[in-house]
Amino acid sequence: MNPDVVVIGAGTAGMTAALRLSGTGATVLVLAEGEGALPLAPAQVDLLGYTPALVSEPLRELAPFLQERPWHPYRLVTPDEIEAALGWFADLAAPLGYVGSAQRNRLQPTALGALRPTCLVPETMASGDLSEGGEVLVVGLRGFRDFHAQLVAENLGQAHLASGAAVGARAVEVSLVGDPRDLRPQLLVRRLEQRAVLAQLAREIRTELGQETLIALPAVLGMERSHEVWQRLQELLGRPVFEIPTPPPSQPGQRLQQVLFRALRRQGGEVRLGAKATGFRGTGGRVESITVQLASREVQVSAGEFILASGGLGTGGVTVDPDGGLHEPVFDLPVTTAGAPGQPSAEYFATQPLDRLGVSVDSEMRPLGTGGEPLFTNLRAAGAVLGGAEPWREKSGEGISLATGFRAAAVITGGGG
Amino acid sequence: MATLDTDVLVIGGGSTGAGVAWDSALRGLHVTLVDRQDFATGTSGRFHGLLHSGGRYAVKDPSSARECASENRILRQVAADCIEDTGGLFVSVPEDDQEYPDRFLRSCRGAEMEVEEIPVAEALRLEPLLNPRITRAFRVSDGSIDSWKTVSALLRGAQAHGARVLPYHKVVRVVRQGDRVQGAVLEDQRTGEQVTVTAACTVNAAGAWSGQVAALAGCEVGVMPGKGVMVAINHRLANSVVNRCHLPGDGDIIVPVRTVCVIGTTDHPVADPDDTEPRPEEIHQMMEAGEALIPGFKYTRAVRAWAGSRPLLPKAKSGAVADDREVTRSHSVLDHEERDGVAGLVTVAGGKFTTLRLMAEDTVDMVTRKLGRELACQTKTEPLPGSESHRYYWVGNRQEEAEADEPDDPLICECELVSQQDLQTVVARRPAWNLDDIRRALRVGMGPCQGGFCAFRVAGILHAQQRYDRPEANRALRDFVQERWKGVKLVSWGHQARQDRLDRWIFEGVYDLEHLPE
Repeated sequence: MNPDVVVIGAGTAGMTAALRLSGTGATVLVLAEGEGALPLAPAQVDLLGYTPALVSEPLRELAPFLQERPWHPYRLVTPDEIEAALGWFADLAAPLGYVGSAQRNRLQPTALGALRPTCLVPETMASGDLSEGGEVLVVGLRGFRDFHAQLVAENLGQAHLASGAAVGARAVEVSLVGDPRDLRPQLLVRRLEQRAVLAQLAREIRTELGQETLIALPAVLGMERSHEVWQRLQELLGRPVFEIPTPPPSQPGQRLQQVLFRALRRQGGEVRLGAKATGFRGTGGRVESITVQLASREVQVSAGEFILASGGLGTGGVTVDPDGGLHEPVFDLPVTTAGAPGQPSAEYFATQPLDRLGVSVDSEMRPLGTGGEPLFTNLRAAGAVLGGAEPWREKSGEGISLATGFRAAAVITGGGG
Repeated sequence: MATLDTDVLVIGGGSTGAGVAWDSALRGLHVTLVDRQDFATGTSGRFHGLLHSGGRYAVKDPSSARECASENRILRQVAADCIEDTGGLFVSVPEDDQEYPDRFLRSCRGAEMEVEEIPVAEALRLEPLLNPRITRAFRVSDGSIDSWKTVSALLRGAQAHGARVLPYHKVVRVVRQGDRVQGAVLEDQRTGEQVTVTAACTVNAAGAWSGQVAALAGCEVGVMPGKGVMVAINHRLANSVVNRCHLPGDGDIIVPVRTVCVIGTTDHPVADPDDTEPRPEEIHQMMEAGEALIPGFKYTRAVRAWAGSRPLLPKAKSGAVADDREVTRSHSVLDHEERDGVAGLVTVAGGKFTTLRLMAEDTVDMVTRKLGRELACQTKTEPLPGSESHRYYWVGNRQEEAEADEPDDPLICECELVSQQDLQTVVARRPAWNLDDIRRALRVGMGPCQGGFCAFRVAGILHAQQRYDRPEANRALRDFVQERWKGVKLVSWGHQARQDRLDRWIFEGVYDLEHLPE
């Protein structure tokens, strides 16, 4: 394969850019150091949740939010582009039935029972928007380590909603038939795809069901056949069922990854996992090729255009050395701290020195040198490798990745700018 | 206010106090031991885990060296389950004084230590990551000792002999009748309730805090807290303790402890024993110093940094000391009756973890003399609970146990191989007010993820079992995340910085812990 475009990183930003470009007929190769970042994430699409005040209308509250943050990557995109990117994503990920909009935040329960603002969720989580309250039966699976139904239910019961509505929640724990050692999310999804196991689960839940109008379970309702599993469970129980995301490995994240990888392959693109970009060759402000470390050897991969979507510090897109030196390891781009404090704060949830690390880009998404000039004509950056955001605290990660990945593709095809 | 009566009130639940409680209980005295926090949270739980052979003090402090050598031999018998028999090496690097090794060898022999010079090639074969430029190498009987396990075993043993232990009970007042101490008033730090303990003899075993406790009785103890900084590396770079063969300095010991190794330490006098926040330059000093022993040390993955306060007791009464390392590591038992005219109070200070048994013996000898009860010390031969078979702990033990576990006993901490049943066993027999209390017993949250995956599981399980109510579970989880951050924030580079991002992704992104209701 001699691709037109090489994308470094198989997370939300990289896959967005790759899918957009391959949709216009370009041949695209996506490289990921490991298996990509999607299996880590709950597969909900956050746009903006906290400023730090709770946001109810993210698109509208973006402008005042950016006013105070001149370094924030959302400044690179317009509200229209954000909305278009989310709309495009929902269409593309149609097999997962995403619902929601950029106009309004939903409040979805977490595995601790907090209500978390987010914009789009897959259909298996759709009825879990508790903005207007609700009566929930929280179902735990006995022996499953990463979901504690009692704590979820009790915390949900303490929710204070702006609407004044109340959340009522009760927990039950049920046992699944089969080997108790299989109570890991990767194996649970497979077991619940078996009709007999699912029917048994439904029977156990039914005996515990009271007046609750909603039923919540940890996000392990199937893998490829999640639609069918979720649908069938609702039929068996006669009430809406929704999933609550659990810590990594995230099964909804895995489902989304499969859908995105498949879509790219259908369009003629390729994803190469376990391929780590380690350096580049270039002349006169152009990247000619990148050095890629495979399991057994190192290769040079040439292309006309390159997109850096390697993520932030968490996924190796940016690194810190013991002396505090900050690096972008593939193109040796300058890394900015975007106004973050120089010393760590003792308070865990305060902004920390490494929270906003990343590269800076111009309006064409080209990474900038120390003098503020674009370094390469054919290199763009998108997603968490861009400095300036605090994605988990703001609940902004997927929105930034979708919108900047979308835009990076647009400037390459000439549709943006 | 409730009143409890006891023969011996021990203030301080570190290694010294726990040793005193064990020794007293074995001799047949009724003991009550109290600590303002959980046990081994002060200096004992904040040391590098080195069971000294004596080599470190051989040249400079021969009496300490001799004590270490003989106590090392005893502990290997009576506390085997708390000890890993790693052995130790003293190595000379080209930058060190090349006259020192011969003095070292002579002094070790003088202190009756087991010591053997081995060829450099043999040392490099034993420890392949060691600096290949070392010029000489000596084998000694250093070991690695688990402080929490030791203190916990001492207290369990004491309890089996009738002792009462009260964690989270802070001494708010020492009860004094004229010139006699008669016990203390304690406040439960969890509930605010007070209780009075009346005692025939009170032992101040508060270590670096013993000056503060003595002051409550109107006495002065010139203990000088010496801060020592340590850094844990995410795996064992050496399988034996590696020491630089020179006069003791900063960052010249690497101790393999369980799944990690620890480099230590610094030594700076501080006014407040609670001043245990390492400074960034001290940590970098440790990482640089490690390079002399293990090239590339600086670029290994540090998982955490912390500091402890040594309870140094200058022999001369007060007076400025320029370098803490000039102060002897031997201990003193102070008779306040003879010294200050205050009866019923004994202070034990100075010393070190390796000599905890001897410190306890000397202290309880004085206590029994004061009580007029001639009871012989038994701790030289009586094994601690868990050490009856005299079998050393081995790093593969947890794996062995995990493989033998019931199939429906899931692991809740993959880094340290802790199962749900391990958690049940521990919460049934010791305080679990904080997740940190459980960490000290099980090491949950001490591996590379520093609690990213396991803390939530522990809080959820204990809540489901109604050990924590909802606000307690939320608080326990938040406090633990905050407590872990204290040590992680100081080593935020390389893979640990990356790990911290993953943990934040989970705590902030997946759980939204920050916005959990109170």
